[in-house]
Amino acid sequence: MDAFVELSAELTGFSAEELRSTGLVEPYRALAEGASEAEIIQLWYTGVWRGTVPSARAYAEGLAWKAAGVAAPGTRGPGFGSWERRPRGSSR
Amino acid sequence: MVGAGFAGSLIAKVLGDNGFRVLVLEAGAGHDPGEAVERYRTAPARTPLVPFRRTAAAPSSDYVVDTGPHSVASQYLRMNGGTGTAWAGLTPRMLPDDFRTADFGHGRSWPLSYDDLEPHYRAAEWEIGVAADADEQRQHLPVADGYRYPMHALPRTFLDEAIASAVDGQRVDGRELLVVGTPQARNGVPVDGYRPDGRLCAGFASCVPVCPEGAKYTPHRTQKRWPATVELRTRCVVNRLHADESGRVTKVGYQRYEDDTTGAHTRHEVEADVVVLAAHAVENAKLLLLSGLANSSDQVGRNLMGHPVLLTWALMPHPVGPFRGPGSTTGIEAFRTGPERAARAPFRVEIGNWGWGWSAGSPESDTAELVAAGLRGTALRRAVAERVSRQFTLQIEVEHEADPANRVTLAAERDALGNPRPSVHYELSEYAKDGMLAAKRVSDRIFELLGAEDHTAYKPDDERYFEHDGEPLRYWGAGHSGGTHVMGTSPRDSVVDQWQRCWDHPNLYAVGCGSMPSLGTSNPSLTMAALALRTAGHLVTRWR
Repeated sequence: MDAFVELSAELTGFSAEELRSTGLVEPYRALAEGASEAEIIQLWYTGVWRGTVPSARAYAEGLAWKAAGVAAPGTRGPGFGSWERRPRGSSR
Repeated sequence: MVGAGFAGSLIAKVLGDNGFRVLVLEAGAGHDPGEAVERYRTAPARTPLVPFRRTAAAPSSDYVVDTGPHSVASQYLRMNGGTGTAWAGLTPRMLPDDFRTADFGHGRSWPLSYDDLEPHYRAAEWEIGVAADADEQRQHLPVADGYRYPMHALPRTFLDEAIASAVDGQRVDGRELLVVGTPQARNGVPVDGYRPDGRLCAGFASCVPVCPEGAKYTPHRTQKRWPATVELRTRCVVNRLHADESGRVTKVGYQRYEDDTTGAHTRHEVEADVVVLAAHAVENAKLLLLSGLANSSDQVGRNLMGHPVLLTWALMPHPVGPFRGPGSTTGIEAFRTGPERAARAPFRVEIGNWGWGWSAGSPESDTAELVAAGLRGTALRRAVAERVSRQFTLQIEVEHEADPANRVTLAAERDALGNPRPSVHYELSEYAKDGMLAAKRVSDRIFELLGAEDHTAYKPDDERYFEHDGEPLRYWGAGHSGGTHVMGTSPRDSVVDQWQRCWDHPNLYAVGCGSMPSLGTSNPSLTMAALALRTAGHLVTRWR
């Protein structure tokens, strides 16, 4: 079992699989050594690490956007008129 | 041509197409769209100017010295393409009443009427590519019979429909509410006879500041259509115009730099038959003041206006899917004019599609708040979803009338090239504050009609906080600066005539929002473009 992934899943409410699919486990593991819970959550949710964004992917994969069911602005074009659609009713 | 932004790029194209040789001197560096998108994605705060190339020699609005009492809070970008690179792409026209604001007892009127400008509005809408429905716009604006916008109106967002279904037909403050599509310079479905430049809007939801799809108009599109007779030189900061005894401008002095990180430069001069300043309202005024030109009226730099924006934010009763599509696709036009205008500033209510991104820094701020409240794991995930998915903001642009005391002057401080930095004195008027208060009350009523949970909060330690009639308020900047080389009917009290030609100099033009005697309540770029095309036609006829 991977302790960092396990801790991240517990803190963020996203499964180990969901976290791994971001491709960010390894860079975040390196960054988050000795970090507080709040810092680890902020990193996963917003892609911000101590005032900077380590990579474009960190921003694009921010879990706050995923929780809300939308793409991080400027990362994906869901298509012309996609904004008309009824959003999903709840998070889970 | 001094400046390769909105107005300069349009005018240079018309001149080039008509056989003129045009040299365009742009103070900033070139634009790299790919680099801008990358910078946007890695910026901790996604503010409007953050993705763009900046240089030490030609700083953007952050080098303006604010002397208060209020901040005009209006950003601008010195880079090829100018602020029109970062703009929202919203292109409402001004209303006929907006051209005669002095009749309401506030500010200044234009030497032009809406009818005078209307054909140029149409030309501008086709030149930059505007998506809108003429019949829908006719509900609040005179649009010529038989006219078609080049592209059909963009689809509304789910949020727009949710708001329209609750407020259309309701009365607030004596007005009937109607949610109306906002014209936009963003690619939609073309009408017969129009070929859009670039791809369809794909909903990246980052139009301010960058559209990764290239679906939003920027001046670079016009530049691509420049004929070979138009030459662009970037990193050339014009710092002096020279005139002869008759007032004719003879030479333009500029400083050219290579290194974006220092003020190292070489000095140059160029001669021209006609000089057009298109460098932004603040920069045009700075350049005229530096050169000691065009100021027999003592109005250069004065009448500086912006749009104070009141943001109000709330949660809808159900998820609306924020952060999708363009920043705003509809608005409420009912408060843009009327007899109340004699007593308080009018306003335009823009429905904001991007949650509380602008107003409260969502979703980062929500996450921080919920984490600080002790939420973890599934509870946190659910709370973020619950909070973010119902967000919306009303973005209310309030008119600020022209006041000669609000002005740009030259600061004692110098920039890296050794030129004086612009200094701005700006004070929010009672008229604008009264308009903001009325806007807040309208917003309160709209939230009630929607059954929305109001989260708007203005706190004394917030930037641009103030109290008016005992009520806390706050304003934001819109990036809409104007008035600094105001247009009028007489050289005694205005800087340029109706053709944007300086009264004092037969071959010197100052173009852009700086010429506008009032901004009304509309985003000004389309009006700037219409004026630019009108001036371009005049230049071709007069100087051929």
